[in-house]
Amino acid sequence: MKTIRFLLNGKEASIEVEDNETLLCALRERLGITSVKEGCGIGECGTCTVLVDDEPHYSCLTLASKANGRDIKTVEYLSSSGVLHPLQEAFIRSGAVQCGYCTPAMLLSAYSLLLRNANPDAHDIKEAISGNLCRCTGYIQIEEAIKNAAEICKCNGQD
Amino acid sequence: MLPKFASVTARTKDEALSWLSSLENPKIIAGGTDLMVKMRAGKHYSHIIDVAGIPELLGVTEKDGRMSIGPAMTHARLSTEASIVRNARSLALACGLVGSPQIRNMGTIGGNLGNASPAADSIPPLLIHDAVLTLESRDARRKVPLEEAIVAPYVTSIDVKELIDSIEISPLRGYREGYRRVAKRATWAISRLGVAFAIREENGRFLDARLAIGSCTPMPFRAKKVEDLLKGAPKNEATISEAIRMALEEIKLISGIRPSYAYKLPVLQGILEEVLRG
Repeated sequence: MKTIRFLLNGKEASIEVEDNETLLCALRERLGITSVKEGCGIGECGTCTVLVDDEPHYSCLTLASKANGRDIKTVEYLSSSGVLHPLQEAFIRSGAVQCGYCTPAMLLSAYSLLLRNANPDAHDIKEAISGNLCRCTGYIQIEEAIKNAAEICKCNGQD
Repeated sequence: MLPKFASVTARTKDEALSWLSSLENPKIIAGGTDLMVKMRAGKHYSHIIDVAGIPELLGVTEKDGRMSIGPAMTHARLSTEASIVRNARSLALACGLVGSPQIRNMGTIGGNLGNASPAADSIPPLLIHDAVLTLESRDARRKVPLEEAIVAPYVTSIDVKELIDSIEISPLRGYREGYRRVAKRATWAISRLGVAFAIREENGRFLDARLAIGSCTPMPFRAKKVEDLLKGAPKNEATISEAIRMALEEIKLISGIRPSYAYKLPVLQGILEEVLRG
């Protein structure tokens, strides 16, 4: 076992983890963050995506020890002020959520895109979510939601 | 679940080399995008040594006309690194096509070489840039050309106690350079075919044309015979069709006839025509 300390959604976290434990497992089972999901477990489906220093990573392929000293964000961060983020509002409006399994990770990939690029075009959006599979929507609604949210964030001067 | 193992995080290269030498059944991890999948499938190591955060293994530097790439550089960083975009465009393009954004944020070029997949996107560009690996263990340091470091699909001559210290390449300036690939989807797909090229021409002649082809033979290969034919040859359809005939012959010589060639070789022919005609 080893102790790791990191920022989790803006707050200091300190936990004991096993040497062979994944970040996915630590988040779900030690910290109760069940929005981070295991789909394929081999880095293909993207539903385990978390942001490490604001970049999307697959937590199922990340050793928990790698989180030490880093800034880890999960979807809970987006509404930590108690209000849904414009991306979340846009997902609801566009019907970008169906079964919901891919949604937390999809939101994180979209959020990371908007941090890097406030004016994403259609190609930028497709590229940003290319590591996140959705088997319900066919992606059109998700792409539309991200485009709309980008417009709103620009107007609000918001991340 | 992953098999049981002990893991340590190295802060310096010396620390990593010392652990590599003293710990039993060790394995280096950087991004983990290949290794974690293999371990999940049952591959067992006793000690995992994380080298991803070692400052000496990061960055790109230039010295005496050669460039040195830190093996812990991620695909994402290399794809946008200014000196790589300027001097090794095919490598920047190839790194930008690996896996998905998440894989590119995690996976490293050293890991891509260590894994030695026949479809590794970074390898054909490194071959046309005459890549040489510096391998280091606690007691020794040696240089190995990339061609010799990969000995079979997924097999390298890198010893279990060795670490890739750096990847040295020749910058190519004044070349028309790129990376073309074919995959089942536009993104998030393994390359079925990858061609790195760098071509310098003058007054209707090829001065230097470098070609390396991935996903076609057991190991990505640099088509040196074809390059020799092209050196100094007039740039015309006769030269180009002879060069392509030779490239396809060499592939068949290396691999025999494979079922996928009914598709791959005509597609490769098309790519090479476009690349050489420019």
